[in-house]
Amino acid sequence: MSEATTDQPLRAVSPTDEADRAVLVRLSAGDLDALEELYERHGTMAYSIAYRVTGDAALAEDCVQEAFLGAWRSAERYADSRGSVKAWLLAIVHHRAIDAVRRRRPTSELPASEAPAPTELQAPDVWPEVAGSLEREEIAAALATLPDAQREAIELAYFEGLTQPEIAARTGAPLGTVKGRVRLGLLALRRALTHEGEPVDAVVDEEGAT
Amino acid sequence: MNDQCRLVEEQAAGFVLGALTPEEERVVREHLATCPEPHREFEELGGVLPYLAESVDVVEPPASLKGRITAAAAAEAAGQAATTPTLVASNTGTPTTAAPIAISDARARRRSPLTWVAALAAVLAIVAVGAWNVGLQRELDAARRYEAGLSAVLDVAGQPGSQTAVLTGEGSEAPSGLAAVSSDGRVTIVMRGLAPTRGSEVYEAWVIGGDGTPVPIGGFAVGDAGAATFTASGVSAGPGVTVALTREPAPGATIPTFPIISSGQAVAPST
Repeated sequence: MSEATTDQPLRAVSPTDEADRAVLVRLSAGDLDALEELYERHGTMAYSIAYRVTGDAALAEDCVQEAFLGAWRSAERYADSRGSVKAWLLAIVHHRAIDAVRRRRPTSELPASEAPAPTELQAPDVWPEVAGSLEREEIAAALATLPDAQREAIELAYFEGLTQPEIAARTGAPLGTVKGRVRLGLLALRRALTHEGEPVDAVVDEEGAT
Repeated sequence: MNDQCRLVEEQAAGFVLGALTPEEERVVREHLATCPEPHREFEELGGVLPYLAESVDVVEPPASLKGRITAAAAAEAAGQAATTPTLVASNTGTPTTAAPIAISDARARRRSPLTWVAALAAVLAIVAVGAWNVGLQRELDAARRYEAGLSAVLDVAGQPGSQTAVLTGEGSEAPSGLAAVSSDGRVTIVMRGLAPTRGSEVYEAWVIGGDGTPVPIGGFAVGDAGAATFTASGVSAGPGVTVALTREPAPGATIPTFPIISSGQAVAPST
């Protein structure tokens, strides 16, 4: 494999996913209370993502509603497959939000993709067993380790749904450079996140003060 | 790994981020579908996305969103129930198609309404254990919501001196339900199969005593799920009162707008 393949898999089945999976099984059996529970567990995060991407409260609500209804309809299909339930759900929300902003973007000639995010390609539960409240700081720290241009390229792709040619147009950088930034940036982010799993001292020593 | 694989690997980050052009994405998908190489980089980079999702600032959704989502899902389930034939498990556990439990059946009217409720609960219990049909489960869930309303009615019905009415209408598709009238003037009604109300429309509940004069006791709106629970208190109702529902263009009607949607005469439950 290429040298860029990482050292350590982002894998751990967290207690969160065990509980989510139980909810999903009930959801696939048509249990409406399970849908409520799923919303209580992940609705805020889903809305936060949709709002970040769309910047529009009403549109964000629609995206969240569509995502949860989509989960309601297809829970049966997903119940048997691997992967984090939370990641699957948030990926649906993210995808719908991106579709919404792409549709509203006049200059985008790209058709909105109807297929949900490629769930079969996402790793099994990626949420480590670290306490939830620490994760956002760890992620922010990991993102901060990226060179600005790489972080910007990833954020334009993930939070604004721009394609690489569109990122090139937005930033004024050549397409090849953008492709490099997207690839290197995501690889670097993954490396930074896997190191977040190590004891805090090690992280501090490694990152140091910039 | 050949050159094509290498080129595809280089697209992995762009692919998982959805940043490829449609043509680029098509090429990658086709390759992944047919290539024997595991191409683990896709899975590994894909695993980063949930962290990006988690990194956003937390914004609380409006409190009404939860209810809207569950109501929409319930409406879908109820909509399926309307088109799916009701399946009743036979004693051998083999599903057979039977007529929907028809409480408009005259026999049901002569039996105590509580017997009908017990029969419905028994059917729900039998099929719930099986859980062999997702569509049926959704129908059952819509029924379960109705059943939850039934428990409110039964609470009233269980009080000494209470009477109950099975509400029925014209035709097998008519809205149906159960009403309990307590001796201290509480009336609780649970209905299913009601057409949703629009705008200021309401279903108005009436009690009709021996003198035949309909007395309004309150109105309620109905959403897409078609099921509703309604309670009124301070109602003056003698034995054998008739409980009726009409559909009114606005709340506050003093004279019912015909036709009567659903009605039934209350009886004291047999001991």
